[in-house]
Amino acid sequence: MEMSKEVKLFLGPNHPGMHGNASVHMYVEGDTVIKSRMVPGFLHRGFEKLMEQRTWMQNLALIPRICVPEPDINEMVYAMAIETLTGTQVPERAHWIRMLILELARLASHLMAMGGIGGATGLYTMPHWTLADRDLVLDIFEKITGARIYHMYIVPGGVRKDLPEGVEEDISKLLDYIESRKDEYENLLLKNRIIRTRTKGLAVLDREEAMRLGITGVALRATGIPYDLRKVDPYARYESVVFDIPTATEGDAFARFTLKYYEVAQTIRIIRQVLEKLPKGPVNTRVSSGSALRWEIPAGSVYSHVESSRGEYGYFVVSSGGDRPYRINVRGASFPQGLYGVEKLLPGNRIEDVALWLATMDFCPPEIDR
Amino acid sequence: MNSTNDMLDGIMSVIGQFDFSQVKERLFSLTIEKSRLISLLELLRQSGFSHLSLITGIDRIAEEKFEVAYTLFSWQSGVTVMTSVFTDRIDPVLPTIMEVWPVARFYERDVHEFFGIVFDGNPDLRPLILENWDGIPPMRKDFDSLKYSKEHFPDREYRADFLAEGSDGDE
Repeated sequence: MEMSKEVKLFLGPNHPGMHGNASVHMYVEGDTVIKSRMVPGFLHRGFEKLMEQRTWMQNLALIPRICVPEPDINEMVYAMAIETLTGTQVPERAHWIRMLILELARLASHLMAMGGIGGATGLYTMPHWTLADRDLVLDIFEKITGARIYHMYIVPGGVRKDLPEGVEEDISKLLDYIESRKDEYENLLLKNRIIRTRTKGLAVLDREEAMRLGITGVALRATGIPYDLRKVDPYARYESVVFDIPTATEGDAFARFTLKYYEVAQTIRIIRQVLEKLPKGPVNTRVSSGSALRWEIPAGSVYSHVESSRGEYGYFVVSSGGDRPYRINVRGASFPQGLYGVEKLLPGNRIEDVALWLATMDFCPPEIDR
Repeated sequence: MNSTNDMLDGIMSVIGQFDFSQVKERLFSLTIEKSRLISLLELLRQSGFSHLSLITGIDRIAEEKFEVAYTLFSWQSGVTVMTSVFTDRIDPVLPTIMEVWPVARFYERDVHEFFGIVFDGNPDLRPLILENWDGIPPMRKDFDSLKYSKEHFPDREYRADFLAEGSDGDE
């Protein structure tokens, strides 16, 4: 019998180079991956079924838990969907506070993702620095919402509570601090010889392929198209702030994470404008005349989406007119690249680059498993 | 802004052919027939709705139907279209739209797993998320999650040394 040259390898569900609990099954020949398949499901918690069994308001405690690094997008799309179904008007100040929260979340998430490069390249200074800085963002969250990770702050009709006094100053100081780290980050990340050598030309994604696969976010923008939902389908008050969409044309791993780095600067720019323009006034509207727990939402279907740090994140919400959702479907940004991308685009890469591929493609298993 | 308006006009001329309703400014919903599913989705794709956001299964148990909603997005105009198609609840079959959007393969696999809808032509409808599942597809409305859980994970009788379990042989 002839010996097969193919060897089957498992990456994950527990592996330092793996982003969360998911498993990649690969067939390798020598060092090259020739076939690979994503095996998700380790984080399936049945959120969509659970949501159908809780009232609209009870779900507020549940939804942020779908995505750990960036929970606020869940609250935002859920609130947006309910507001569309009920016709609730959100006060002006609440729109701006929501934007502040979403951008702080993007900042935290991007810092974490930039640290993720360190895990895949073995340069552990990066995660140490970025996660320590992310912690400072979480401090701000704690001041505003009372929680560090799951804020449950953006609610239908506005936000839960007004900003605490003096938090604007704290945020300003934080932004100054993160900006002061610019040179150090650039030296460590963008000018780093090892990172450049390993990521330039790696996992090139062309524009047609990205569009056909439904890939969104940084991976799409790295192919040269400035598609960002904050510009294309603006929500909150993104049409009232000035910011750029960084793009690159290379479409490789290096382009993808550099864009993340440049987006941090744009996020800081947006937050500064929010702090400057933040109007005065109420921060929420009363959504229900009786107990909000028995709030009934008019029947209908609605899809709402936002630009998360990984791409398009959306909820398909169906109400049958009752006090519970009839059906909610979560569109995780990493679904296309996580499942289809791993089968289609990962083969041809070398084993040591698989972790880098996953890190730069923005891949978050809890979104896929739900 | 003019080009945006032109684009909206163009989109309206396409959507206007269907039985549609406007949910909000840039969100439309429309219902299409099962037999024309692929040709109409292809038409929508060519009219600018190049991005498939999501395929959602919905169990309309009162009407004895399954609804499948294809959410499409146009990057040029920022318009979302929720395209619904209905199929019988007994023996539900829909054609696959893999030819139009290859990534649909995985969304369909997900809908198949959680609703039991068969997508004719999709070669890969293996279970995706669940493992060793032996009940009815769990997102159907007649699936009782509490009952399933009681059957498969029965309550254990309380014992005083319950917490010490697993520490056998430590000493």
